[in-house]
Amino acid sequence: MVVNDPHELRGKAVGSPGPLKKAPAVEKPRTAEELAQTLKDASASRSAVVPAGGGRARGMGGAPERCDVELHTTRLDRVLEHSQADMVVSVEAGIALEALQHELGKAGQFLPLDPFNSPGHTVGGLLATGWTGPLRLRFGSARDYLIGIRVALPDGSLASAGGRVVKNVSGYDLMKLHHGALGTLGVIVAASFKVFPKPLHDASVESEDGWAAAERALAAPVTPVALELFSDGRVLARFMGSPEAVKRTVGELGWAHASHSVWPEHAMRAPQSWGRIAVPRHDLRRILDSLPRGAEWWASPGVGIAHWSIDTDVDAVREVRAAVEAVHGSLVLMSAPEELVRAVGAWGTPPETLDVMRRLKQAFDPNGILNPGRFVY
Amino acid sequence: MALASTVTEELRRIVGRESVIDSPNDLRIFERDASIEGAMPDAIVLASTTEQVAAVVKVAAKNKVPVTPRGAGTGLSGGAVTIRGGIALQVSRMRRIIEIDPVAQTALVEPGVVNQELSLAAAQHGLFYAPDPSSQKACTIGGNAAENSGGPHCLYYGVTTNHVLGMEVVFADGSVHWVSGDSPERVGLDLCGVLVGSEGTLCAITKIKVRLLRIPPSIATMLAAFPTIEAASQAVSAVIGRGIVPAALEMMDNVTVGAVEAHYHAGYPTDAGAVLLVEVDGVPESTTELIASIRKVLGDHEGYALREAQTPSERELLWAGRKGAIGALGRIKPNYYLHDGVVPRSRLPQVLSAVGEIGQHYRLPVANVFHAGDGNLHPNILFDLRERDIMHQVEGAGEEMLRAVVEFGGALSGEHGIGLEKSAFMPWIFSPDDLDAMHRVKDVFDAGGIMNPGKIFPDPSRKTVHLAGRTGLAIEARWW
Repeated sequence: MVVNDPHELRGKAVGSPGPLKKAPAVEKPRTAEELAQTLKDASASRSAVVPAGGGRARGMGGAPERCDVELHTTRLDRVLEHSQADMVVSVEAGIALEALQHELGKAGQFLPLDPFNSPGHTVGGLLATGWTGPLRLRFGSARDYLIGIRVALPDGSLASAGGRVVKNVSGYDLMKLHHGALGTLGVIVAASFKVFPKPLHDASVESEDGWAAAERALAAPVTPVALELFSDGRVLARFMGSPEAVKRTVGELGWAHASHSVWPEHAMRAPQSWGRIAVPRHDLRRILDSLPRGAEWWASPGVGIAHWSIDTDVDAVREVRAAVEAVHGSLVLMSAPEELVRAVGAWGTPPETLDVMRRLKQAFDPNGILNPGRFVY
Repeated sequence: MALASTVTEELRRIVGRESVIDSPNDLRIFERDASIEGAMPDAIVLASTTEQVAAVVKVAAKNKVPVTPRGAGTGLSGGAVTIRGGIALQVSRMRRIIEIDPVAQTALVEPGVVNQELSLAAAQHGLFYAPDPSSQKACTIGGNAAENSGGPHCLYYGVTTNHVLGMEVVFADGSVHWVSGDSPERVGLDLCGVLVGSEGTLCAITKIKVRLLRIPPSIATMLAAFPTIEAASQAVSAVIGRGIVPAALEMMDNVTVGAVEAHYHAGYPTDAGAVLLVEVDGVPESTTELIASIRKVLGDHEGYALREAQTPSERELLWAGRKGAIGALGRIKPNYYLHDGVVPRSRLPQVLSAVGEIGQHYRLPVANVFHAGDGNLHPNILFDLRERDIMHQVEGAGEEMLRAVVEFGGALSGEHGIGLEKSAFMPWIFSPDDLDAMHRVKDVFDAGGIMNPGKIFPDPSRKTVHLAGRTGLAIEARWW
């Protein structure tokens, strides 16, 4: 289906903050097959396709070189199957994360994914971008609990990998190929996840004592499931598990009790211009200390990730990136003014395996129709 | 077919004269892994360094000779079997633990390091490596990474791919690369994630960086008997349904328990229809509290003879019974065929009853040991190779069991890999388009097809695949 109503198009151009030559066609397919057909047609006409979910990560990556078709997955929003006893859920990619959590919550289960710039992410968007949040400390990223995937490829085929079981080594792990590929190899149309039972006990606490407090909490006998440190010295920690153990740990820390609402509030965070710093975790403090004076950031010190609200000139960003890359880390722009993206690049130095990545791109998208210019290749 | 003498000479120049083995008698040692089928390599090359691995692969590429990387040869799906001949690239000499970083909680190891050796070395820093295949005393980290191995404790901790941070790999052109590393995010595609579990068909692995975890201060292990497998399975679901994910949740059926008890005298109740081994870890308050909750749930679900290990040696004995179960089965029949399938956990009772029926139909005893929490079953077909035509029966029964697994919404392998054993069955769960996507990946990494050829993908020249009857219907019924 094509939407041509200018009201609907206005302000919806995804991916590019700048003006486009011509308003792109907006496609909102209702089925995976329809979506695949859209890709096949685009391949035939060499039209550039920019896939979009909730649009929460539209600023990530380089500005698309072209955008002829905006391909929205938001009408693919069904829960396909939630097997409560198996703790496995299969959903279409366009479902909003909140809708999925609501469904799981009815069965006392949850998906440990709590990305920033919430609410409004779609599951497919989160898989394509690989975004994570504080719970990554205990649960890893979606990469770790994504057990099956179905992807529409530019040739119009629909390819699945994995399955609906929690442990599976049947065939190549193509979940990993598409996770974080920013929709440049195919468009994710459905996914299956291993989900988790809500914990017996869940407690949050906070401190104002910065790094020292964060390090103390991370070394506690019960490891926090999330620990966030802010540039103003505030620390938020969350513990899950058996009530006695959690209560003892929280008691020993002696921090102030925090309400559960701190987490959804924290997840809403998304500055105008921000970047994600990822380094080996023992390097994180030094890197954050070297940020320009007064820099605002929040970090998961137990993971080695920090999000930096960029309010500085191009040279400072370049310097930080150089420091980060010197320890084999990365500084990726999550959303930034076009001039900054243009000047420093969204991704930084490409990996030395770029050639293989390009050949994978070529194998899946030989006409280069998916998100041209947006990813590292 | 022997390698051209010029190729053998080139290989000798790389690794040294003594490290290329090509006499027929010596080659025979490398004919098999721990699976059923074997095939002779043309040469065995014992590599000691990344440079040697790279140079060997380069020679193989130039001469279009197959290369099959090999660790300890404990694999159960024929991954290390040189079905198209060529070079068995043995990495067991590459067994240095290069670094354990107790602050970062990581280890950098060569591929030939034995799984348990890594955990023993890490223990000096209060750390351990979580994936623990039953063969952990012998299997290598390189093999684990190639197969994405699991183990009993993967229920809580995850499988190998969740613990590999990065790898140094040799591609099919002999080039050496690092994929991912110790930063939590990479730039570009997740090649490391794709290469883990690719069974040696995309690259050779020469270094692995893994995550280590803190050894939990307290571990509680409990054994419980149940009248039937159904009752035990329901107890498993009830435990997890309560919000408790134990570190391990293992089940053994009556046949296995009998053999294990006769061998280990671990105090397993031999009258039980099934025995559950449950382990929780954490701080002492947590394990005490959790094991009490679990005890109650198990008791409410027909569990009896509940017994908690009181000392570390009692715990070890309980685990020795589980990890040594396969060996103990030798008391029943001299040979076994250990299968591996995985179903949604709630389907375990149904699929196990189907497995039992298949065994009866073929008049073959079947012993079941499995990771109940993961829905990962291991039917073990017991037989005596000296009986006439027995292999035909064993393979027939195994294939039917796998069909049952697929019918119940499962997958072909939970942790052993596809390898040679199950490549013909791949079309049972994957459509031509699914397989085509995997082929594209294979072609990008190894256009010449020299890396461990004949694995994972169905080879029409080897076996006919019957996609008919109930299995065909089950596949059609899949929503995806």
